[in-house]
Amino acid sequence: MVSILQSEWFKFRHSKIMFIILTVPIIGIFLGFTSRFSNEDFEINEWYLSLLSMNLTYALLFLPLITGVLASAICRYEHQAGGWKQLLALPVTRGRVFIAKYVLLIVLVLVMQVLFFVAVYIVGMIKGFTDPFPMVIVWKSLVGGWVATLPLIALQLWMSILFKSFAAPFAINVILTLPTILVVNSERFSSFYPWAQPFLMMYIGGETGDTFYVPWVQLLTVVGGSFILFFVGGYLYFQRKAV
Amino acid sequence: MIGKLLRADFLKIKRKGLWFLSFLGPFGVIALQMVNYGVRKDYLLNQSDDDWGYFLEYVHSFTPLALVLGIAILTSFMASIENETNAWKQLISLPVSKMSVYLSKFMVLGSLLFVSSLLLGVFSLGYGILLNLGDQIPYLELLKYSFYPYLAALPILALQLWIASVSQNQGIPITTGVLGVIFAYSAFILPDWMIWKWPSLMNEWDEPLINVMLGIGVGTLLYIVGMLDFTRRDVK
Amino acid sequence: MEYVVQTTNLSKRFGKESAVIGLDMKIRKGEIYGFLGPNGAGKTTTIRMLLGLMKASSGTIQIFEKDLNKEKINILKRVGSLVENPSYYPHLTAYENLEALRKILGVPKTRIHEVLEIVRLTEVANKKVKGFSLGMKQRLGIAASLLNSPELLILDEPTNGLDPSGIIEIRNLIKQLPAETGMTILISSHLLTEIDQMATTVGIVTKGKMIYQDSIESLRMYAQQKVLLKVSDSEQAWRSLLGNGIKADWEDGIILLSEHSDGKVAKAIHTLVHEGYSIYRVEEEKRSLEDIFLQMTTREKVI
Ligand SMILES: Nc1ncnc2c1ncn2[C@@H]1O[C@H](COP(=O)(O)OP(=O)(O)O)[C@@H](O)[C@H]1O
Ligand SMILES: [Mg+2]
Repeated sequence: MVSILQSEWFKFRHSKIMFIILTVPIIGIFLGFTSRFSNEDFEINEWYLSLLSMNLTYALLFLPLITGVLASAICRYEHQAGGWKQLLALPVTRGRVFIAKYVLLIVLVLVMQVLFFVAVYIVGMIKGFTDPFPMVIVWKSLVGGWVATLPLIALQLWMSILFKSFAAPFAINVILTLPTILVVNSERFSSFYPWAQPFLMMYIGGETGDTFYVPWVQLLTVVGGSFILFFVGGYLYFQRKAV
Repeated sequence: MIGKLLRADFLKIKRKGLWFLSFLGPFGVIALQMVNYGVRKDYLLNQSDDDWGYFLEYVHSFTPLALVLGIAILTSFMASIENETNAWKQLISLPVSKMSVYLSKFMVLGSLLFVSSLLLGVFSLGYGILLNLGDQIPYLELLKYSFYPYLAALPILALQLWIASVSQNQGIPITTGVLGVIFAYSAFILPDWMIWKWPSLMNEWDEPLINVMLGIGVGTLLYIVGMLDFTRRDVK
Repeated sequence: MEYVVQTTNLSKRFGKESAVIGLDMKIRKGEIYGFLGPNGAGKTTTIRMLLGLMKASSGTIQIFEKDLNKEKINILKRVGSLVENPSYYPHLTAYENLEALRKILGVPKTRIHEVLEIVRLTEVANKKVKGFSLGMKQRLGIAASLLNSPELLILDEPTNGLDPSGIIEIRNLIKQLPAETGMTILISSHLLTEIDQMATTVGIVTKGKMIYQDSIESLRMYAQQKVLLKVSDSEQAWRSLLGNGIKADWEDGIILLSEHSDGKVAKAIHTLVHEGYSIYRVEEEKRSLEDIFLQMTTREKVI
């Protein structure tokens, strides 16, 4: 298992796809400087407003879309000239290959989350924020957003294995992501829609009674349920895929 | 020469789902409003006296996003049809100029997006009538909201086609598309010179026609730059 | 002399690395020109330049006695090609693949059926190419290259990856083309045996340089066997052979007879015996074309 992961990491490192990850701080800084709210009217921690507005676009659109690109990037090598055959002819099980790719993806997404909040911090520093950096809130939001994308990544990996091109899985991803903009307006629908979960989990104005910004029940049923569905679906599909 | 290439290119996109996506884009934009109005029609109709105008504004809030992402998807599909088995070399060694090969790709994409824009108008009209938004159907506004964003998005089309056709790795144009949609989503805060702002039809003078003119002008320019770069490069 | 293809001092650099260096290629009408060289020698790069896919770093290319830079489209109208791995659109059928090219070439639709017949793909014409075997894809690529009834056909390693029967099939196909249509063919390969059986002329490249270019017969001359003699006092013996007007070489104590008809060999031996040399061994040295090719391409110099 470790060796498959190492090999996946090696391929990734040499695929020039690192630049995808670099878009995260770029977008972070962009969102930071185009922040929607001005805090002159409010008497709260400056970081809150910055986080509120930056997290919105990031979690609503950017995060779910970019993880899909990452998933396709991770399967790119295999889709070229018989790569799947080559990989699966090695003494590895398909299940492990799937899991290794998935693990690499979620680690990279965690790195992206960290980079995003580093960007938030840098923007705050440049803007000269003097209020204390709300570490607890940031942690909740960082890890929460990450957990909420776990099911999406499973589906994206599935679609990326299914389709050769970048465009096809991306199209599916877009079709599922765009409605979120509307869905989050409705409390009733948004709690059930998996693509709305990253936003809800990163929405620092949300419920704070539980560990994250969404209730545990919702986390377990919606995020957990969709994760199992997508992960098992992708796993089984990969078992059967003709290469 | 260009006619022949166009006929060949339209044959090549068969079964690739590009026509379907061109339909799905505008359909999706209206379907979101179907959900929106379906859930809270009474509330929304109370918000304004100009129900048609209000409805079209809502539709238009999604059009730029669908356009930017649609362009990224369609251009990448077009490029990957030639990239997949490196059919560029076969195509370019036919007795055609590289410029016309590039022009043909641009025209096919332009046509697909034109159809999308047309469908957007038709669907808007259809659903608007279904909603009973009033007898005063604002046909001119309808046309503007359907075709202005398309024309204003031509620079994005030119840019994405350029990137997609010279990239071995289609992750690059798709990533550009993701960045683009974030810019488009933040349109109201973008400076006027950013091409991703233009499909929103916003500008400091409140004159959508400026975006259309800029779109056509800068789109042509970017198209030429992309084409020249494409012809200059060696074919792998 | 009319050349269908003539390159002068053709070179291509990728950054610092030179893939093709000062190549002078000459192909006459009606020839099957075998373009030989080991992997990475620069064959594909040369062919890409001939087709205008890549711009040459320096040098000129004339095809049909026209400058490629100036009349590319007119030239390409009369050229058919298959470069490296076959290109195809997997989601389209074989027929549709050819139709997509035919629309651009503007030849009649019946030509599609003709070329499918030539490469024997008629039966699978309406199947998606996605499911084709490598050999079938290769044949489809050849069909595509024949679509415009070209006067010059350029095939880059067309038998690469094929099984022996596929190789024979394509070889027979290629051999019959010039006879039937007066076509000129440029075919590249890294295997001499393949070229040997169809080419009329060969050009050998290695490390970007043309090291040999002549008729296949001339190349075969090199392959002819030599007779080796091991004798006592060999240098003296060699001199006396030369003194008697017998052509021979001397190398490492061994005499090599360049002329090796039975009569000539008998005469040489008679001479040596007559002059009192002891003859220990008379051997034939076998050099196959492959040996020569290998020797040429590894030692980097003409024999
Ligand atoms: N696009 C390219 N960029 C950089 N180097 C290249 C490129 N194409 C070919 N080369 C190099 O040029 C040399 C000749 O390659 P090629 O023409 O493909 O050889 P052949 O077809 O004889 O096997 C090789 O060393 C190869 O690495
Ligand atoms: Mg080659």
